[in-house]
Amino acid sequence: GNKQVSGVSSQGCQGGCQTCSVYNGCLTCKPKLFIHLERDGMRQIGVCLASCPNGFYGTRSPDRNDCIKCGSECDSCFNRNFCLRCRAGSYLHKGKCMESCPDGLVPSDTKKECV
Amino acid sequence: LCVGGQAAAAGEGQSTPATCSPLCRCDEDGGADCSGRGLTSVPTGLSAFTYYLDISMNNITELPANVFRNLPYLEELRLAGNDLAFIHPEALSGLHQLKVLMLQNNQLKTVPSAALKNLNALQSLRLDANHITSVPEDSFEGLQQLRHLWLDDNSLTEVPISPLQHQSNLQALTLALNRITHIPDNAFANLSSLVVLHLHNNRIQEIGKNCFNGLDNLETLDLNFNNLKIFPEAIQMLPKLKELGFHSNNIASIPEGAFCRNSLLRTIHLFDNPLSFVGTTAFQNLSDLHSLMLRGASMMQDFPSLTGTINLESLTLTGTKIRSIPADLCEDLTVLRTVDLSYNDIEDLPSFQGCVRLQDINLQHNQIKQIDRGTFQGMTSLRVLDLSRNQIKFIHRDAFLSLSALTNLDLSLNSLASVPTAGLSALNQLKLTGNMELRNGLMSKTLPKLRSITVPYAYQCCAFVAYDSAVNPAEDDERRNAFGGEEDMERIPMVMHCSPLPGAFKPCEHLLGSWM
Repeated sequence: GNKQVSGVSSQGCQGGCQTCSVYNGCLTCKPKLFIHLERDGMRQIGVCLASCPNGFYGTRSPDRNDCIKCGSECDSCFNRNFCLRCRAGSYLHKGKCMESCPDGLVPSDTKKECV
Repeated sequence: LCVGGQAAAAGEGQSTPATCSPLCRCDEDGGADCSGRGLTSVPTGLSAFTYYLDISMNNITELPANVFRNLPYLEELRLAGNDLAFIHPEALSGLHQLKVLMLQNNQLKTVPSAALKNLNALQSLRLDANHITSVPEDSFEGLQQLRHLWLDDNSLTEVPISPLQHQSNLQALTLALNRITHIPDNAFANLSSLVVLHLHNNRIQEIGKNCFNGLDNLETLDLNFNNLKIFPEAIQMLPKLKELGFHSNNIASIPEGAFCRNSLLRTIHLFDNPLSFVGTTAFQNLSDLHSLMLRGASMMQDFPSLTGTINLESLTLTGTKIRSIPADLCEDLTVLRTVDLSYNDIEDLPSFQGCVRLQDINLQHNQIKQIDRGTFQGMTSLRVLDLSRNQIKFIHRDAFLSLSALTNLDLSLNSLASVPTAGLSALNQLKLTGNMELRNGLMSKTLPKLRSITVPYAYQCCAFVAYDSAVNPAEDDERRNAFGGEEDMERIPMVMHCSPLPGAFKPCEHLLGSWM
């Protein structure tokens, strides 16, 4: 028979959850918090955060706030096309991650930026 | 955060040397995570060399003076998700190396300008999701390194023009989800480094013709979900614009040459506007544009000129009064992959021959009357062709000859009396419903890959329904007679979906004139 998935509840939910289920964690968040889906093996577990984890950025809309993946070369970003901090091996310049810096600028390994 | 040996053990409620607080988890690199612990004040006892401190998701309602004076090397301070309503003017003093300050999801009603005064190294400031109604004039004074500013999801009723006027290093700004109603001229005049500007989900009704003057490096402008009634011509002052969004507004027309000064545009989101007119030259010379979606411009009569827009891969143009497609359409659009021209008034089709990469054509619900030999010639990549709901009477017998990759063909609800099948060797699904003149049987042999077919009359399914061994000989003869006694009528041994299925009241033989 079909395995009974535990129902949605608003009691006993973690920190910023509005509703949750035992199997999938947070389903909706309290106002203005971001919902982020963490992977746990085959399962996706919802967590509610005030800021999205590394590699994700927050998008806000009137009825929902989501964590969305940054571009692949980016560790932290403002939106999908504007990076705040690049991954190792590339240097940040005006929101872009570059392997080599534009003329007139040099790569700084400590700052991971073109300076 | 990898957990430091001694610090971690100490973090379990025992007294700790000066390197960490029992209320936090500290790592060897100077990071301290004290988030989500129900704290009502900033923990003490942290290492002087702490560079990263996360106290988010606690219950801290105010920051007293000098509360971080022992952390001179702090570079990132996270205070998001507390109930912060007051920040003492001296609360952040001494943080000369602070680069990132996160104050989002708190209860602030105004920008804590005094407290921010001396953060000379600050690059990222998050003030989103508070209750900010005012931005004092001196809010960002002293923040010469500021690059990223979040003020979205607050209660601002206007663009904070003067507080921002000296922020020439600012690169990314969001004022989304506020109550801004208009953007005056020169609102962002000195923000010459700005690359991203989000203004979505406000109440913007009108914007000055020169409101974006000075944004020489802006690449992304998001005006979605506002109340704009007139096309934002101010975008003509944005030479570097790549991404533009103004969907979900009240814009009725897009003028001629609308984007003539935005030649770098890659994406334009303009759906969910009550468009009734689009200038024919609006989308010319946008060589970086990959996708164009225009729905429901109901008064539009002329096909927009796409000369110079040579990298368009997807074109959707539906719900207009357009009657014809330019004959030279495919001269420019050689990389087009999908085209949706449904729900227009198109009568004649040009040859799509130049569009060699086209995979999906939707011409549903137009007024097409015939398909010529050359219309789809050479289109070896075409997979899906929807010509349903037209008035097609005639299709040239070689019209589909080169469509060797076509899997889905929808000719339903036309006026066909016959259907050419030459060339349709890969066809998987064929729809012919509603062609009431199409009475004779279909030659299943020429459609070897067919798996699903809909036909006007049930008896036409007899040739396609899988041969059932339980069928008694009498019925077998009956089936053979339905097709003029063909001896070698082919039996298709595979599972086949054909509708409407023959049955008790719709036997296979074709009783002249009695089929309904």
